[in-house]
This record gives sequence, C-alpha cells and structure tokens, in this order.
Amino acid sequence: MIGSMRDYWLSKLFYDLQSPAAVAEYRAERDKVLDRYRIEAPVRKALAENDVPFLAQRVNAYLLRYYFFATGMKDEEFKRRLRHG
Amino acid sequence: MASFAGAFAASHGPLLIREWEAVPRGEQSRLKNAFEELGRRLKAASPDVLIVVSPDHWSNFSLDNYPAVCLGVGAVNEGPPEPWMKGFAHREVAGHPGLGLHLVEQAMRAGFEPSVSHRLKLDHGACIPLWRMGLDTLPKVVPMLLNSIEPPMPSLRRCFDWGRLLASAIQNYKEDIKVAVLGTGGLSHSIGEPTMGAIYEDFDHETIRRFSSSEDSLISYLEEELPRRGNGSEEVRNWLVAHGAAGGRGFELVDYLPVPSVIVGCGFACWSAS
Repeated sequence: MIGSMRDYWLSKLFYDLQSPAAVAEYRAERDKVLDRYRIEAPVRKALAENDVPFLAQRVNAYLLRYYFFATGMKDEEFKRRLRHG
Repeated sequence: MASFAGAFAASHGPLLIREWEAVPRGEQSRLKNAFEELGRRLKAASPDVLIVVSPDHWSNFSLDNYPAVCLGVGAVNEGPPEPWMKGFAHREVAGHPGLGLHLVEQAMRAGFEPSVSHRLKLDHGACIPLWRMGLDTLPKVVPMLLNSIEPPMPSLRRCFDWGRLLASAIQNYKEDIKVAVLGTGGLSHSIGEPTMGAIYEDFDHETIRRFSSSEDSLISYLEEELPRRGNGSEEVRNWLVAHGAAGGRGFELVDYLPVPSVIVGCGFACWSAS
C-alpha cells in the first residue's frame, strides 16, 4: 500500500485529542483549540459540519474514527456519513 | 544460551473491551475460551520474555515520525494510554533491555534498521491479548511496534524475514532465558473507511489455510488480497512475524470466529517451539 498525502495539522489535531483533557477542552471551546493549529478554512468548515468524507481524504482512517468517537458521534452515524456524506 | 519458547497470535479489537457486554453470549464464551486457551499455552511455554509484535495506534508515534519498525529496549514499558483500558492491571510492564538491545544489534548486522525506543507505551494492541489471556504475572515484554496502520508499510516478505531474524537473534543471545513471540491484531476488519464493520470470512479462512502451506503461497495471497480486505487486515503482518519466528512451520489454529459486534474476524493461533 502506497503512502497518502496527509493534512499535517488536521492529523496533529486528531492525534492531540487522544488526551482526555484535550478533548474535553475541544468540546467546551472548539474555536480556541482550533486557533492553535494551522487548519485551513475549508477544513475548519468541514470540522464544524462533521463532513466525514471530506476529512477522510485528509487523515489516517484510525485517527478519523477516533476523532468522531471522542467527540461523541455514534458508530452507526459515523458509518452512514462515511458512506453517504 | 536463550531458547525460543514458541509463537502465538491473537486479535485485539478495542470493542473486545469497550463493548464486551454487547457481545452475544455464545461469541463471548468462545472468545473468552480462545484467549484463555492461548494463555494456558503461553504459561506452559513459560517464557521469561515475550516479544510482543503490534502496531502503534497513534499512541507513541505521529506524522512527525512514524517508523516502519521500532524495538523497545527500555527497562520499563508504560501501560495502555487509552482511558477505556484503565481496567488493565499493569500501569507499567517490565522490559528486558539486554535482549532488546541484542535484537537491535543483530538486526543492524543483518541489514535491518529498526527505530529504537527506551520507553514505549503499550497500547490496546499489545495489552488486550495480555489482559484477556488471563496471565497472573506477565513475562518481561520487549515491544516490537510494526507499522500496519499508516501507509507505506513494511512489505509482507520483510515481516516474515523479521520473524526469522528474531528467532536467530534469540538463539544466539547469551543469557539462559526462554523467549516467546506474540503477534497481535487481525484478522480481517475495516476501521474508519467506507467499508467499516466489514469482516471478510473467505479471506480469513484462506489466510488461515495458507499459514499451513509455504510462506511464498501465503505471502503472494496476502499481497494480492490485502488491498481490498479492509485496512485492519494489514495487521496480519504481526502474524507473519510470529510465523517467521517459528520458521514458517508448526501453525495451529486455536479458534477463529467472525464477531460483528466487535467488527473483527477474531483469530487465535500458536506455533510450537520445535
């Protein structure tokens, strides 16, 4: 399997949110947390809209799944959005 | 001199812990029995050190640096960082720096170039099997984190060769200890991609069958099939390391069952030391 282009800052955000404290802060003050990362405007919009397919093209699938788990999306809803947007 | 005490393999999906109570009773019972049978066999082999071959699920490594292979040479490994793994009794797991460094040295001599860490976190990939196998005391653990998460990944042939290298290195390590290998992960599953939840039973059965045939047959099958069998299936690399450590022979299936509630084709296997 060849490597894929990744959005480094989005990946770093998802990686950092594995910390319970970090994800608690993200849930409480999302914009404040996002301001610490060089997240591009379309990506920030996709985060706000839970645009799973858009984000899926930019990060590792395990990090993507973790992010939506940690921010409270049920697996069934996550899978539906993955498949159908 | 050290001796090879056998090789083992087991699945490690997070839902085996997080959603254990939601697993149907019959499947729960088979999973419990399979893990415990593997635990009994591991205890019977009585290894002083266990080389645990597992992916790093973004616990130690990030896009800043994600090594193909990292060997843990620390005196202490940290327990799992995942909050839902807090029931695992071991917040620290003893390592074996002597063997770890020996493996690194032998690898370098043989033209393999692993990354090296003196302190690794053992995430659910390593710790779910250790937990579910019901071991009262853990052997010392030398972690071998093998990338099967973020492409590009080590070739399947290289993973098998890593197993052969481990066996050779164990046999020329001067301390009189017994060393076993545990490969974790697989069999088929799909995480965070549109096929998430899929289990490819036909792939799993054929993979299991080919562990009893030649390594060429096994590797060529996996090279052909893995790209369309779910990203989690890539973890079969860790089974290939165990297989290589056993010299590509002696595979014995302990159990296999597809478990939709944990979204993994769950496999359990061992290889004898002889």
